[in-house]
This record gives sequence, C-alpha cells and structure tokens, in this order.
Amino acid sequence: MSDQQLILVVDDDTDLVEALAMKLESENFAVAKAYDGVEGFDKIKERRPALVILDVMMPRKDGYQLCDELKNDAGYKDIPIILLTAVAEAVNSTNYTHMGGKTTLADDYVPKPIDLDKLMEIVRDNL
Amino acid sequence: MESRDHLEFRENTRILVIDDEARIRDACSMVLSDQGFEVGTAEDGDKGLAMIRAAHFDLILVDLMMPGLSGLEVLAIVRDKHPDTVVIVITGYATLEHSIEAMKKGAFDFIPKPFTPDQLRAIVDKAIRYNRALQDIADTQSRLKTLVNGLTDGVLVSDRNRRVVLANHAFLHYIGYHGEAVTGRSIDELRVGERLREMIEETLQMPADTFTEITHELSWETGEDQKIFLAKCTPFRSRNGDNIGTVTVLNDITALKQLDKMKSDFVSLVSHEVRSPLNSLMMQVQVILDGLAGELTDKQREILIRAYGKMAGLSSMVSELLDLSRIEAGLISREKEKLDFEALLSDQITFHKPAATEKRTSLELDIDGILPVIFANRRGMEEVLTNLITNAIKYSPEGSAIEVSAGMGNDYLRLVVADNGYGIPEEDLDRVFDRFYRVKDEHTRTQQGTGLGLSLVKSIVESHHGNIRVASRPGQGTTFTVLIPVAQAP
Repeated sequence: MSDQQLILVVDDDTDLVEALAMKLESENFAVAKAYDGVEGFDKIKERRPALVILDVMMPRKDGYQLCDELKNDAGYKDIPIILLTAVAEAVNSTNYTHMGGKTTLADDYVPKPIDLDKLMEIVRDNL
Repeated sequence: MESRDHLEFRENTRILVIDDEARIRDACSMVLSDQGFEVGTAEDGDKGLAMIRAAHFDLILVDLMMPGLSGLEVLAIVRDKHPDTVVIVITGYATLEHSIEAMKKGAFDFIPKPFTPDQLRAIVDKAIRYNRALQDIADTQSRLKTLVNGLTDGVLVSDRNRRVVLANHAFLHYIGYHGEAVTGRSIDELRVGERLREMIEETLQMPADTFTEITHELSWETGEDQKIFLAKCTPFRSRNGDNIGTVTVLNDITALKQLDKMKSDFVSLVSHEVRSPLNSLMMQVQVILDGLAGELTDKQREILIRAYGKMAGLSSMVSELLDLSRIEAGLISREKEKLDFEALLSDQITFHKPAATEKRTSLELDIDGILPVIFANRRGMEEVLTNLITNAIKYSPEGSAIEVSAGMGNDYLRLVVADNGYGIPEEDLDRVFDRFYRVKDEHTRTQQGTGLGLSLVKSIVESHHGNIRVASRPGQGTTFTVLIPVAQAP
C-alpha cells in the first residue's frame, strides 16, 4: 500500500470530512484530515500530501487565505489545491465578474453541494 | 367678446391717474373703468404719492408736466419705493427727449397727448400683462424656494459656470456648510467634496442628446456620523438644448443601507447555517448510495434517492434566497454608469452557454447594428439578462433554441430573449411578474424557484424608466421584450 497517494481534506464540518474520506479511501487514496486552516497548514508541513481538498469558509484561517499562502510559498506551490465553495461563492471563483469577481490561485474548484463522482474526476485530473 | 378670465383679471387691477388737467383724468378714468379696472385719480404728484402709500396700485399713469412735483420726480420715487408698480408717463408735448429720459428712469412706456381711448387701452393692457408676468415669476420663485427648502433631500442648483443658484437647508446641512449665504458663490467654496464636484462637472459636459442623469453613492462624515448619500445630478437645458446648469439631489440613504445590511446579514447567516448541514447530509447520503457503508436493498436505495432529491431542492432554494438578498442589496443605490451593452451581452452568453449546452439547447446572440453606450446599473442589467436566459433554459425541453437579440429603435434599446420552449399558459401570463408567483404545471413542478426572479427583473427595468413585455404560446415558446430608453428627455 506504499504507493497510495496522500490526500489532505480540510473542512470544519467533521461529518463532511468523514464522508469524503470514506469515498477517497474506497478509491484507494490515503487520507489526512484537518478541521480548520491553521491545522491544515500544519498537516501539510508535516505530511506533504499529493493534493489538498480545501473548504473556503472555516474558522481561524479561511480557505482563500490558506490557498494564497501555499501558492505564494515556493516550497508548497506545486501541491494542487481544489477549493470547495458554497454555490453563492462559486461564481466568484471564476474570472467572471458577476458578484465582485474573486479569482484565486487554486488549481480547480468544486461547488457545494459536492457531486462525489465529479470531485473524484477532478482529483485524478490534478494528480 | 372678452373672456371671463380677462374681466376678473381687470377687476383686481388698480390704476392711478395723476394729471393736473381734470379733462384728462376724467377721460382716462372713464375709459379704464369701462374696461373693468379699478381707477383712482390725483391732481398732483404729492396727492398721488399719498394714495400710493395708502394702498397698492398696479399701474400709474403720470403726466410729466405738473405744478409741484414733476412727473419725473414721481417716477423716481415710485421706482424706488414701489418696485412692483408699473409707471407709464403722459407726455404733453410730444418731445422725444422727455420720453426717452422717462424710459431711462424706469418708466414702462409713454403715451403722447393727445391720445385716443384705443391707444390708452392698448398701452395699459400691455403694461398690465408685463406686470402680471413679472409677478408670476416672483410667485413661482417664492413657491419654488419654499418647496425646495421644505424638502428633506438636499438640493443644489448651479449655473453653467458652477456658481450656486440655489442650495436648500438640507443640502448645506449635509455638506456641513455653516458659512455665509451661498447664492452666487462658486461651488468650490462650498467644499462639496471631490466626487460631487466631478459629478457636476461631468453633468455640465454631457452632450445635449445623451444621458440626463448621473447617480453615485457617496459617503462622508456629517457632524459625528458617517452618512451614505445617493447623489443624483441632472443638467437643465435652454430651449436650444445647451446645458445651462445642474440640479444635484442628495438623498440620505444611511438608514436604508443599515437596515438592508441587517437583513442581508440575517439571510446569509440563516442560509449558511442551513446550507452547511444540508451539504454534509447530501454527502453522507451519497456515500451510503455508493455502497461504502454496506450493501443497500433496492427499496432503501429508492428511498435515499428521493431523499437526496429533496435535499438538493432545498439546497438550491437556499442559494437562491441568498443570491436574492445580495442582489436586492446591490440594487438599493441604483448607481448608474456608462455600459457597453454589447460586451455585457456576449459575457452573459458565454456565461450561460455551458448550462444551455448541457440541455442540448442552442443559445445565440444577434445584435442588430451598433448598440449605443447606455447609462444603466451594471449589476441590474446583468441580473435582468441572467434571469431571462436562465428561465429560457429552465423552461424549455432538451434540444430547444434560445435567441437573445438586441437593437435600437425610437431612442430605445430593445432587448429580446426568445425561446421555443414550453410557453406560459394564457391565464398565468399577466401574473408572471408578481412577487412569489410561480406558474404551476407539469413542466415547472420539477423546477426549483422562489418566484422572485421576474418581479426583480421588472423592478430593475422600471428603475431604468424602461418597460418589459411578455408574449407566449403554450407549446410554442415565450418571448420577453425589454425596452430601455437611451436618452431621457429632460
């Protein structure tokens, strides 16, 4: 099992993290879990995952901020990041300036509610 | 035949004839009384002036050559003390110099002796009309001033050289000005703030046939508080269309903005608190459906799929409510800017194309000629297009065709969104713009919605002084037509 790739899931909703982990493990990935942005950063430093699935709205440090820090750090900028955004924020993650036009440095994003099959597809595309 | 109005107008008009010749006094008195005027007479200047002091006269006929005070002296005193009284001089010997001197000193006109009753009537009528016009202007000004000062909105009127013509109390209070009288001063001296000054400047530069209103949301400190204003600046134009000044109105929307923020905060809090657990519920159900928590029976699977569908519906409803509260918040100030409508349209088409393609529906844009730059609220216009296009996609079967077209006609920008989808039943057609109204039939049952989209669209269009119409045939499709005026007549 040593060739299993490690994926870090960062979300403050523990039930959602558990469900995601079950799906990822069933697809033969190893999973690390963190429940806010600060903890997420620590886990990245400690375990250096192959990919990060990152929620946007979280306590202590939100996903946008963590994404920004990682992508501006030469040591971590190569780790692909997939943002999980609530529907209303999803529009912000594209270049289209509909609601204030937020663009991020993330590699991709998946709107909530998450379509698990679609998420798996995006995960594989980014590895 | 004289109209009633005309008679009443004369009845209320008082004329004084000052002449030392009884013959002239009596003749004038007779002719003018016959006309319906109220006529008084005096045999010399002193007596005449005493009568004027005692009661107002609209018009005075005064002989230039009299014993005692001369006509010119009477004229000078009347002009000085009773500026609302019109003076006509009677010149006994028709020398031009005397008449001209009298005119220079403020006489309205002169009438040389001898004169006929017709000449007298004509000259008096002309003078009275002139006097009435002056009085009307004075009345209008006074009425306007009272009206403007009574407004809670701040109003500033400036001329083309950016000098203050009028500024009401509210305006001066809002900009925190407590100095001397402002009329005639440059607006720079009022220190109205950079942005407002630019707005006035920009308004003065507007070409005569274009936009007639600049709107911005401005904020500054008034006294202790930070206030938010909706500032609206409009040019006013001379008869030949030149800008001759501006009217600026400040509407204090601080309370409205605060209330709205509270509402938005509440809605987004509730939405977030509802949506997050829903999202994780949906994930959990998906994981069970995937068989990751053990094998499922067909019955269990069927129930879970239906439960998942309900959750998805709730989730999109919450998102829609959240979007709506944001949109409504953004529309409060209705800031307008110059919009390149063509670019806006193609952005919208690009944005909605994936959703259309997913339903194998074509979404085409057809622009007729060159669209003018229009003056509108960007977010509002995006919202109008998004709603109409999304509806067209939602309420058309797979493989439909949607066409968005735009063009100019009669100073209106015409925007048409047409589909060949399910259509709207006739009995529902005039209610589709009502708040919370949703057409209920076999095609809409499966669609989630709040029933607020089209009412929002209508209010946005109307806030641009535009108009929206809908035409539809069940089974054949629906066409929405939006008209937005390009330039509004002042």
